Amino acid sequence: MNPNDNINEDKLSEQLQRLFVSIEASGRAILPRSNDVLLKSIVDAAARIFGSAAASILLVNEEQEALEFKVSTGEADHDLVGTMFPYDKGIAGYVFMTGQPIATSNVKEDKRFNQDFAKSTGYVPNSILATPLISSDDRVIGVMEVLDKLDAKSFDMHDMELMGLFAQQASMAIEQSQQIDEIEEALVRGLKRLVKADKSQDSSDLQAALDQALSGENNSSDFLALADLFNEVSALGEAERKACFQVLQTFAEYRKTTSAPRRFR
Amino acid sequence: MPEEIRPAWSQHFTADAIQELLAQGPFAKITPEWAWGDSTGKGIRVAVVDSGVEYDHPALDDCVRGGVVVEYDAKAKDNYRIKPDDKPADVSGHGTACAGIIHAIAPEAEIYSVRVLGRNMGGRAIQFAAGLDWAIENDMQVVNLSLSTSLEEFFGLFHDLADQAYFKNMNLVSAVNNLPEPSYPSLYSSVISVAAHDGKDPFTYYYNVNPPVEFGAPGIDVEVAWNKGQYLVCTGNSFAAPHITGITALIRAKHPELTPFQVKTVLLACAANTKRQK
Repeated sequence: MNPNDNINEDKLSEQLQRLFVSIEASGRAILPRSNDVLLKSIVDAAARIFGSAAASILLVNEEQEALEFKVSTGEADHDLVGTMFPYDKGIAGYVFMTGQPIATSNVKEDKRFNQDFAKSTGYVPNSILATPLISSDDRVIGVMEVLDKLDAKSFDMHDMELMGLFAQQASMAIEQSQQIDEIEEALVRGLKRLVKADKSQDSSDLQAALDQALSGENNSSDFLALADLFNEVSALGEAERKACFQVLQTFAEYRKTTSAPRRFR
Repeated sequence: MPEEIRPAWSQHFTADAIQELLAQGPFAKITPEWAWGDSTGKGIRVAVVDSGVEYDHPALDDCVRGGVVVEYDAKAKDNYRIKPDDKPADVSGHGTACAGIIHAIAPEAEIYSVRVLGRNMGGRAIQFAAGLDWAIENDMQVVNLSLSTSLEEFFGLFHDLADQAYFKNMNLVSAVNNLPEPSYPSLYSSVISVAAHDGKDPFTYYYNVNPPVEFGAPGIDVEVAWNKGQYLVCTGNSFAAPHITGITALIRAKHPELTPFQVKTVLLACAANTKRQK
């Protein structure tokens, strides 16, 4: 192997690294990342808006089949960050499973009351309002809780509705920031595939660098499969492209007609 | 004191919003005493389609007669499996809360637990529909649905199930969504849909002259049974529906000849905002 190849590869590797950093940075510029600034700003705002002593967010961790305690504010225990709660445990689990909000109170006074709350929130509050975070395709991606209403003994229906609207906004932001991660990952996977396909030179270092960049979760396979399919179809010819376009268009039309009426909006 | 705002569906049941209704002629003779006086709901089969019902919760006095668990299974026919559940448990507490409210109103009604909630992702609406289907096939007379789906693709399926239930002489009682958005099956006309008002008397409910949500029952700071033998104070439309479910069971036990739409007429005639003209 020519020593120059190595040098070139190092340079390429360096350029790619820089590229990844800038992709990430552009994502950050548009939206804060889901796991830090964004979530913190959401819980801070929630605690303030709903006049509560604390607020927290749990997000779905599909691998662990659990809700992961991501962020909290106020009195809630910061040590809980990273703790997993099974889907079917406690108030957060109920909200996750039903996709419905719930408000409860008198938690502390009630001797019959249990540990699930304490475990899922970090401390035993007097009142809780928990609301699902629902993605645009109607999956529950997490649960947001506000704890201990400051000027009343419980959260009321007004809080519940407002929190529902607030959670819709929060879900959108969280989802978009998760999508940025996925797009980033899809780009890296695409690059890796190109490098692998290029048999003309040894590129093990580069592949290792790309693997490193991919060492997180794998959510981008659907994305990539779809891109591959489009690629394939576009190579076939105009008649095939037209046929494919018609199929997609028919599907989109069909989805519109099977939708329920929106009279009650 | 700032003006109190409520979710879209329960705003109809504030003191200012409730409109008086008039019952005349034969309808004026329908009173709560006639409708459910001395009834205990004896022998009426009530399905609670929810997170399960804890059969041995002290608040339920052994009124749970059995049940099933509906599980999502992508590999199974129609994507679900149904298992018998003779001694039902409750995975969250919510189903037990609903059953406790029903039992307090209709102590001799027979409650069946239809658990459609679990740890799985993504199959909720299918499980829910399968649970409702089980209740229809197994001759339940009243079904409490403190759940709903907002997924438009299930509009047709739930509509069909609601029609089947109606033609089999069943009353479906459904909580409307806590968020101001459409939810099925609560918005169908054959279903008795319920939102929360902040009263405490379990027998005081109102009729809304501006449907789709038709009835308002207690659902704010209600003390309810919860799983593991516990009790909680909860708020939500989920807790309003079981009040109407319980009253419906009372009416059906006392007047087994009534059809689902006659039951709804009786409910309307006995609403707290209905005035009888003699």
